[in-house]
Amino acid sequence: MNRHYLILSGLVVLGILYPQAFPGYLSVAITLLLFAGWATAWDILGGWAGQVSLGHASFVGLGGYFVAVGASQYGIAPWWAVAMALVAAAVLAYLWGRLTFKLTGPYFTLSTIAIAEILRLVAINEGWLTGGATGVFIMSLPEPFGLDLFARQTNYYLALAFAALTVLTVIAMSRNKFGYQLRAVREDEDSAMASGINPTTVKLKAFMLSGALTALGGGIYAIFLSFLEPHVIFYLLLSVQIALTAIIGGRGTIWGPCVGALLVVGSGEVFRTTFAEANMLIYGLLIMLVVMFLPRGIVGEPARYLIRRAYAKRAQS
Amino acid sequence: MLDYVSFLQNLSNGLLIGGVYALIGVGLTLVFGVMKTINFAHGDFVILGMYCAVLLNTLFGWDPYLTLLVAMPLGFLTGAILQRLVLSRLVEAPPESSLLVTLGLALVIGNILLLTFGAEPQSVHVAYASSTLSLGEISLSVILLLAGLATLIVITALYAILNHTELGRSIRATADNRLGAELVGINTRWIEAVVFGIGMALAVTAGVVLIPLLFATPTFSGAIFTLKAFVVTVLGGLGNIGAAIAGGLLLGVVEVLGASYLTSDYRDAYGLLVFLLVLLLRPEGLFGKTVKRV
Repeated sequence: MNRHYLILSGLVVLGILYPQAFPGYLSVAITLLLFAGWATAWDILGGWAGQVSLGHASFVGLGGYFVAVGASQYGIAPWWAVAMALVAAAVLAYLWGRLTFKLTGPYFTLSTIAIAEILRLVAINEGWLTGGATGVFIMSLPEPFGLDLFARQTNYYLALAFAALTVLTVIAMSRNKFGYQLRAVREDEDSAMASGINPTTVKLKAFMLSGALTALGGGIYAIFLSFLEPHVIFYLLLSVQIALTAIIGGRGTIWGPCVGALLVVGSGEVFRTTFAEANMLIYGLLIMLVVMFLPRGIVGEPARYLIRRAYAKRAQS
Repeated sequence: MLDYVSFLQNLSNGLLIGGVYALIGVGLTLVFGVMKTINFAHGDFVILGMYCAVLLNTLFGWDPYLTLLVAMPLGFLTGAILQRLVLSRLVEAPPESSLLVTLGLALVIGNILLLTFGAEPQSVHVAYASSTLSLGEISLSVILLLAGLATLIVITALYAILNHTELGRSIRATADNRLGAELVGINTRWIEAVVFGIGMALAVTAGVVLIPLLFATPTFSGAIFTLKAFVVTVLGGLGNIGAAIAGGLLLGVVEVLGASYLTSDYRDAYGLLVFLLVLLLRPEGLFGKTVKRV
């Protein structure tokens, strides 16, 4: 048994008890959990595979719109809508990766912005599909087992399950062959190829997994908001928020994205009244400080120190 | 016959707008050429220039073009200081660090502007805002013409500096081969600060020139200008100044023609599509030299 599983189960138990302790602070907790999940999902591609994407809002939007349009126009139950969104997200990620994975480093990042912006313009202009620039309302949802999906408490448990599922995926991945392949590709594609790994295939799998998980969070987000606007949910700033949350916490670490989410959403809540709508200021300041002083992130830097010390001790004895 | 006239009209508008895009793109490409830094804050520098003009106009009633006298040197100094304080620390860091730090800088600038000036769009009204110059059947807006003229002067000056002064020679040497430049005694760290200063001064100038034409909003438009600057530079091939100018003109024309002959809903998408195609099919840029890749 891995100690990360123990930490995760401890956190999930705490998370289940949280609504009893702080029933008034559910919305913040939902935001926190969604960002923890999105950042962890982003990190599969951005951290473990080393491909920094600034286009993940597209997947949030995809998941959100499947649920919202499915519920409001076609009467599709949200769980089926989410299932379709997962498939659609994986397909989108596959095509997107096929198209752009021959670009490396900053060029890849630029191409993700361009594709995400084009998708946003499509969402705004194709009103027959998405309700256009005015957005979509979710008026009613079915009630499985008498559960009100609009209730904050239900939203909270859905978000908790989503965050736990992504972290669980990453913990499992960090120890299996796929996780090692991802890290090999991140460190050096040529060496990875020499040891029989196909970098494009591995990166594609990472992108599909990352995109599908992000879309799952997007579906839950849509139920939480019950109103979707393409300006917000497809916007570059959401992609930036997701990526920066993971990078501030520490790329390629299991807990980094969660710690990043705690820090970013937490400080956003503390400074809510001071900064009002200028809340992205916190992201800007934090990312500058982290890149300048803790280049591996808040979790990554101490973790590296501990690992190096352990190696040094072993070498001495 | 009417079609021919409206085509020329659109073409000239596109070229004039494209001139300003070129001005923005040249700053970005110059910085990339010398420092290999992709500057995500470049669009926000443009917005900073816009607000500089708005501020001086509301305080002293200055014409935007008068503001240039203050904005350009100020932009240069701020850029140089930012480079010394922030970017120069990242020389040893992984390659995306400079991208992330400038992204952070963009968020900080945008949101500080939002806190200071509020979210509502602001602009400077000038007396000549709606006047036009007729050239045969084509009418050209005076503001656009002035913007084009300013762009022409600034780019010519930049060209003269780069090609006919000792400083320009050092800049080109640093872009070509950093180690070689250092070996012949060029202080490349100083050159980097100067180049980042020039880049910021160019962006600020573009902002000031654009303000009679557009509204300044603190957070949203910065990202749009950054994207446009990327499109321009990638069209031309990153690091190539002449090509960035051509890329800017091309983007202006593509946007205006696309908006008037196809559908204007996707005005911003045309540039992005071309950008993606160029990035995928010709990563060295439309006008870049083809380098055989192994």
